[in-house]
Amino acid sequence: MSDVRTPGSTSRGVKSLATAAEAGAHQREWFADLRRRVAAGEPFALLNADVPHEIFRTMDIPYAVGQWWASLVAAKQRSGHYLELVRRRGYPDYSEQYNAVTLGAAFDPEPEAGPWGGLPRPDIIVGDASGDVTRKIFDLWGREPGVIFYPLESAAENEVPVNWWELMPHRWEQAVGPARLDLLTAELENLVRFLETTTGRRFSETRFREVLALVNEQEEWNRKARDLIARARPAPLGVVDSIPSVMLPQWHRGTEWARDIARRFYEEVRERVDSGHAACPGERARLMWIGRGLWYDMGFYQRFQEEYGAVFVWSMYLAVAADGYLRYGDDPMRALAARFAAFSDQLYTPPWSSEWYVKEARLHGIDGVVHLVSDDPRGSYFTARALEAAGFPVIEIHADNVDTRTFGDDVAAQVGRWLEDVVLT
Amino acid sequence: MPTALAALEEAYARSGAPAGNRPDGRAPVVGYVGSDLPVELLTAAGVHALRLTGDPGSGSAPGDRYLGRGVDPAARSVLTRLLDGSFGELDRVVVSHDCEASLRLFYALRELGRVEPGAGLPEAYLVDLRHLPHRTTTRYNRRRLGEFAARLETWTGRALDLAGAVAAHDERRRLLAAAAELRRTVPARLTGRQFLAVVNAALPVAEHVALLRRLLAEAGRLEEHPGRRVFLSGSDHDTPHVYEAVESEGQVIVGEDHSFGDLAVEGPVGAGGLDALAEHHHRGGPAAHRATAGERAAYAAAAVRRCRAELFVAYCRAGDEAPAWDFPAQRAALDIPAVLLERQEYGRVDLAALRKEHPCPM
Ligand code: SF4
Ligand code: SF4
Repeated sequence: MSDVRTPGSTSRGVKSLATAAEAGAHQREWFADLRRRVAAGEPFALLNADVPHEIFRTMDIPYAVGQWWASLVAAKQRSGHYLELVRRRGYPDYSEQYNAVTLGAAFDPEPEAGPWGGLPRPDIIVGDASGDVTRKIFDLWGREPGVIFYPLESAAENEVPVNWWELMPHRWEQAVGPARLDLLTAELENLVRFLETTTGRRFSETRFREVLALVNEQEEWNRKARDLIARARPAPLGVVDSIPSVMLPQWHRGTEWARDIARRFYEEVRERVDSGHAACPGERARLMWIGRGLWYDMGFYQRFQEEYGAVFVWSMYLAVAADGYLRYGDDPMRALAARFAAFSDQLYTPPWSSEWYVKEARLHGIDGVVHLVSDDPRGSYFTARALEAAGFPVIEIHADNVDTRTFGDDVAAQVGRWLEDVVLT
Repeated sequence: MPTALAALEEAYARSGAPAGNRPDGRAPVVGYVGSDLPVELLTAAGVHALRLTGDPGSGSAPGDRYLGRGVDPAARSVLTRLLDGSFGELDRVVVSHDCEASLRLFYALRELGRVEPGAGLPEAYLVDLRHLPHRTTTRYNRRRLGEFAARLETWTGRALDLAGAVAAHDERRRLLAAAAELRRTVPARLTGRQFLAVVNAALPVAEHVALLRRLLAEAGRLEEHPGRRVFLSGSDHDTPHVYEAVESEGQVIVGEDHSFGDLAVEGPVGAGGLDALAEHHHRGGPAAHRATAGERAAYAAAAVRRCRAELFVAYCRAGDEAPAWDFPAQRAALDIPAVLLERQEYGRVDLAALRKEHPCPM
């Protein structure tokens, strides 16, 4: 999600979206400005993707998202360098690479040689204590001078209603359950106090409500775009086009810029649909990509268009923007907690994940599913099982999404054979 | 009469096996997984509790399929054994959130129950205790513990005897702590393998307590175990395989930091009902999956001194990566040689690395 000109789209000369180009340019300007602000003495926070950025937005504390940084590093083919720095400190380079790559920046003797001038040294890190390793990684970082790690708990529930995507916008209390909501709400109230104390900035309730409203507006535009793409034949765009237009603004949610570009992305999709534009002329198969983005080889997603007429119309990035973020309600802190108290369950924990993928596959008229299985994401078997039970063919490919070393040379050939033998018959 | 140690070994050999004749006929049999599961509540409910363990010697293909190969193989083995009925008839499975593998095991059980009811798995229940050292988490845990207590009362139809259960478990911990001292003497009077048996003997608490008392009374007759004194850090050992391999080479494991060994001995809960119980399990010991590298290093330094270990071995199973992140801080905190064994296969250990006279890769 780092630059907008993807290797795939430039080499094939496919005209990419204006919003993608704008989001890419904006990202560079934003990052340069962030570096200036931090150099001038403002606090800097590094946040994991699944924590409430909205609080930092409200308090105008500059922040960057760890997963965005890791995807930029991967796109620049630099993951190996940062993993090597981690390894040299004696830590494993084969464990939770998405976060380890970012930790590598802390150990870089020449941080300014990193992508885009390098990641500034954070003052504050916020991540959730999910898995066995995430908290350890950020805690290690928090031992570096001047860095404070504020962990958020990662809690789980016994019984959940399946249809989270229907419940979440308004009935999130029912979907998530009060125990987790009470916990995260309390942690966030404490986080605000911690930030007020350490940064001297104020938290305005009015501003907070504005930020939350902007986020909902942005995600509503994403929802409209998702619905449009799901119905349109042929597919007006593939996932390589939509990912930067969705994800870069996602990291800026709560700003007017992000809301407005989400609207313009919808309008661009609308224009393409109205003019009958086909991402893949001669479309024969609509594919779904399950898993994180393959940041080091985005061309992969277009590799099957010419030969097979197979186009990736679905990735989680637009879909989770459409279904995963909307939260309405009168108590803004609790509504914000509801966005994140079970965020990753939406994508990785059955029955939520499995049933949602099936619902999305049906909505998009999917012909085949390519499932990236890394070591760490959860619930893969049940995802594939549910999709197959619902009649969707699934192929699993095994690799890590930021660690190039794990990607086999024969994956494209395997997918090609599967298209011929299973999907296109 | 066999010695207490022999009786404990015999009961340990039965751990992870079917409950056999239900002790009092009707008490539900509850299998449990997770180092921080509040077993006191199971005792208080009068259920027959069985800690579920894996088996490195039998395959784990079904568990691999449902959980994925990135998950700790011990959990994959437990799931496999649940599916093939190795634990006999269980009325319930209770899982705690002590690590990612346990959580995923719970989700797999829950989902298999939903989509493949024919698999015949017992109903699973999650006790979601968390471990950040903050009051927000304390309150959350207390709530979850209350929910679990209420659920147990629903299952059994009777009130819990919490005070009695806590007292029994505290007494067991007190005796286990004394047994741990037998291993810490020089030379050790218990091997690591024997200590695993002493701690994890599959016995009701009262019987366990009686045998531990006898063990302590018979302490003078225990053999001496000279040999290089090893502290074993890292992954949990739900079976004796790795201990047996390490000790077959003339070494003796005199301490460890996982939940089947020394960390099971920390206590007591004391009086105070559910509040004290929640705090006890919130604190827990510094297991690899919940403590920070700094906490783990501090514990290692103190524990190594206490048991007079001569070699520190950090053992990390493939699929159980957390301990590998602790090693640099642990090594820096120690003044004895320290060796890291990464990506070890379940139930196996790379002995060649331990045979070297200077084992540390420096
Ligand atoms: S290829 Fe991926 S990382 Fe690179 S610009 Fe495009 S979306 Fe961003
Ligand atoms: S390498 Fe040899 S000398 Fe160095 S710490 Fe290890 S055992 Fe001691």
